[in-house]
Amino acid sequence: MNVILAIKQYISKMIEESGPGMKVLLMDKETTSIVSVVYAQSEILQKEVYLFERIDAGGRETMKHLKCICFLRPTRENVQLLAEELRMPKYGLYYIYFSNVISKQDVKVLAEADDQEVVREVQEFFGDYIAVNPQLFTLNITGCYQGLNWSQNALKRTVQGLTSVLLSLKKCPMIRYQNSSEMARQLAENVRQTISKDAALFEFRKTDVPPVLLILDRRDDAVTPLLNQWTYQAMVHELLGIYNNRINLSNVPGVSKDLQEVVLSAEHDEFYANNMYLNFGEIGTNIKELMEDFQSKSQSHAKVESISDMKAFIENYPQFKKMSGTVSKHVTVVGELSRLVGKQNLLEVSEAEQELACQDDHSASLQKIKSLLSNDKVTQLDMLRLVMLYALRYESHSNNDVSGLVETLKRKGISDKHRTMVSAILEFGGRKARGSDLFGSQDPVAFTKKLFKGLKGVENVYTQHKPLLHSILDQLIKGKLKEAAYPYLGTSQLKDRPQEIIVFYIGGTTYEESLSVLQLVKSSPGVRIILGGTSVHNLKSFLEEISTAHQGHTPSQISSRR
Amino acid sequence: MAEIAREIREGFLCPVCMKDLGTVTQLQSHFEEAHSSTEDKAVGHQIKELFDKAKRTILGKKENNYSFASTQGSLGGAYGVAKSSDGLRYSIDYWEPQEIGQTRSRTDEFRALRGSRVDRYVVETNKLLIRMDKLIAPDSPPHSDSSKRKAFEKTVVMWMPDADLKHCPTCGRTFSITKRRHHCRLCGSIMCDKCSHFLTYEYARKLTNPAFQFDGDSGFLKRSGSSSSLNSMFSSDGDPQIRCCLECRKLLERREQLMDQRNKKPSIVLLYEKMKECTDECERLLETYLPMSESLSAGESTYSLQEAQIIRAKLVRLYEVIDQLSKKIVGLGLNAEELPTIKQMAIQKSIRTFATGFMHDNMIGLQSLPSEEQYQKLQEARKAEIQKRIAMERAATIEAQEKEKREREKVKNRDLLPDKGLRQNSSDEQTERTNSQVHRGWKPVENSVRVTNEDPMLQQMEIIRSYIKQAKQANKWDEVKMLEENLRDLQREYASQQRQTWS
Repeated sequence: MNVILAIKQYISKMIEESGPGMKVLLMDKETTSIVSVVYAQSEILQKEVYLFERIDAGGRETMKHLKCICFLRPTRENVQLLAEELRMPKYGLYYIYFSNVISKQDVKVLAEADDQEVVREVQEFFGDYIAVNPQLFTLNITGCYQGLNWSQNALKRTVQGLTSVLLSLKKCPMIRYQNSSEMARQLAENVRQTISKDAALFEFRKTDVPPVLLILDRRDDAVTPLLNQWTYQAMVHELLGIYNNRINLSNVPGVSKDLQEVVLSAEHDEFYANNMYLNFGEIGTNIKELMEDFQSKSQSHAKVESISDMKAFIENYPQFKKMSGTVSKHVTVVGELSRLVGKQNLLEVSEAEQELACQDDHSASLQKIKSLLSNDKVTQLDMLRLVMLYALRYESHSNNDVSGLVETLKRKGISDKHRTMVSAILEFGGRKARGSDLFGSQDPVAFTKKLFKGLKGVENVYTQHKPLLHSILDQLIKGKLKEAAYPYLGTSQLKDRPQEIIVFYIGGTTYEESLSVLQLVKSSPGVRIILGGTSVHNLKSFLEEISTAHQGHTPSQISSRR
Repeated sequence: MAEIAREIREGFLCPVCMKDLGTVTQLQSHFEEAHSSTEDKAVGHQIKELFDKAKRTILGKKENNYSFASTQGSLGGAYGVAKSSDGLRYSIDYWEPQEIGQTRSRTDEFRALRGSRVDRYVVETNKLLIRMDKLIAPDSPPHSDSSKRKAFEKTVVMWMPDADLKHCPTCGRTFSITKRRHHCRLCGSIMCDKCSHFLTYEYARKLTNPAFQFDGDSGFLKRSGSSSSLNSMFSSDGDPQIRCCLECRKLLERREQLMDQRNKKPSIVLLYEKMKECTDECERLLETYLPMSESLSAGESTYSLQEAQIIRAKLVRLYEVIDQLSKKIVGLGLNAEELPTIKQMAIQKSIRTFATGFMHDNMIGLQSLPSEEQYQKLQEARKAEIQKRIAMERAATIEAQEKEKREREKVKNRDLLPDKGLRQNSSDEQTERTNSQVHRGWKPVENSVRVTNEDPMLQQMEIIRSYIKQAKQANKWDEVKMLEENLRDLQREYASQQRQTWS
């Protein structure tokens, strides 16, 4: 189970099927993301695809000597645009691939438009999601909550995305969902309906233990997306933002022009692949090594005296050039991260966050937050983050001082819109919204564990937190996940321990959780897990998510201010 | 390309601590003692698999020992990687290989739906072409004989009766004495003179006969001015024409477009196809060349140096051609009056990138071949290397056997049952392994070995003798020489051992 590989295989199959000759790849907005995340342009170029076009872009030229590979989502607009295209074909031949099931009606519309017989293939290749890491996918939907219910468009897209993941991995799973979430139940129900509607598609070779699809709701764990991160990938996303593997560095002071937007892709960048899960301290040393290695290489390149030197230089040059690109990219990114860490006092902020999330000392935490709120280095976003965490953590504490903290935020000049987030997060992921014991205060086992941990002291204060997902999956792997809290859809139940798990977070997942999944996989041989979400959150995108959820629910409060 | 990233260690290595244990049994007992409690079962499983494989290979049943040695090397390597990845890292081969996801073809459904619609066009067009062919046939009545011609034209297609239509179906005007009805000669329908189209014979010939060359811009002439209908049967230079309606004209033009697309290739396509031919040829040649150059630079004598040089020269020539062609493609149309469009240029550039990328990937790897002298030196170096390795192996073997002997004696002391079968087996395996490392591609058969003596050294000598015999039969003089040396060493060793036992 590897989602990146699944998408890559689809795309190379498409290109292969069209045979030799010059090709153009015609995509829509979403499929462009799907393809660009897994393939570098240069890589596709070597497969004779010389032109990339968007179907909704005007002014495409007629080039009959090109074969056209269309990779499109089966939306109504796309079908219409494609039908127009076929009536006046711009390219010689068309090989059409839809990223999901296409209706009979739409096939007919296209067939009737193709009176010049330019279409060679019409197929469904189920790559209808964005594969971020081999074990992580996203649908890039923000705002799936409308009020605290499904936005219908988002639900439809999520069902399509999730079923396409199943199809691309050839899995027909048993479905479990979080009982406390009506949205999780709805999604589970919808996925099952889709499966039974196209039962023939979902007929795969049976494995001994059927795979499990577990559907969770972000509202059960609103803490994880609020935390600052210290592993490379997660940290870059939190502080700079990763969107389809791209990072915008144009705000970095003194950045050179060609580094204003960089691509971080583990498929094509070895340094990133080796370091994306390491924490910030380790990356510092690794990047130093990288630099030194590079310097020694560039020195050896500096003296080209003999012919054999020259030859060696030419042979190594492309590698060298690639390396210099990697070095300058990572040096810039890591440099910016450490600048922000210092400037925004992130170590202290993060320590306070982790204490809030993992320990149980109300007065100490409150003290710390108060002192951080009066620290000028701390950004407004981090202040908000701390107060939101505090509100969630000590929601029912008798001495809780949420109102006092919100008052401080106001004095600090934090906007109304942002301050309402504090009450919004309580509504979104507060005690009433949760089905599970997020802070481990009720379950005696978890409680003692925590106590022991407190006694032993923690290895790294900045990475104490383990997401709720970790314990849910751990229980699922051990066959101990409670049925009352996570029931099966339908009557059949799994007797053995599951080996293949696909877990999906409504409301978005995080890179911290992705790493957690990888750790679990490593510690439990034979178990494979894929994690997905409507999106991959950092604090900013999570605030947006909460705000749309809040908006629909109590329209009077925020919408008037927009 | 002969460079191997890391050293491949051979022998009975423990995959956990990389210690060379010399024999299978030793390794097994070592592993059970030292590593059974630690590590996970996966490694144990791998070991077991390895043993099975090793047994199979050693007994010479299936694979040759070369693959055995390399599996072992790669196993050690794989483990090394796993060990270093204790900290998590992104791995490209995340979990096992994976088959491609579900796909569903809707092409048949699409074709069926399209077919019913498109068939109509095809049938109609074909009908028109057949009629046109008749109309322009040389034995058809000439236009000068207008009544005969008209009668002939009516036999080609049924003309619609005049009374059927009072208005021109295209422009809607009423027919009268001044506005007369005209018939399409291809489908027999009625229109007015103004709405008539005329196609030249030239054009008709082009459509009906693909081999016919036609240079005109358009085969259709629009009715010009007020000349009489009879005159209009001829174009200005007196060529006859065929009157037809708009519908027929559309169908014919569509047909022409399709034909053009099939027959005419823009220059970029021609150049590109040539270039692709070259890259394909390169790939074919590389497949044969790479193993050759690898083996030659390792000093092996499997391939001839000259042959490799010829292929190399061919490849270099092909690269030059590819380079030139791709440059030509980039430059296409730059000197023309009308510059190519941006997209066109983008494609041309991409093709050049493709070509440079291709050459890059393959040419840099095109290691130069050793010269004659170098090659000889390499061959000698290889021989020396092999002999050195054999010597080392043998030393290790002897040491291992000694050790085993001692241990077995210990066991014997405890439990006085002799264990000949096992002992013989293990030493047999040992010899077989040591020897066959010498022969890649040539494999001695163990059939002629008769076990006459219990001493493993003597057995080994016996076996080597039989190998020498076989090697001689196979005319592998290199091997014979090495084996003989091998044998001499063994004899010396045996003699000294004997002395030790006696003294």
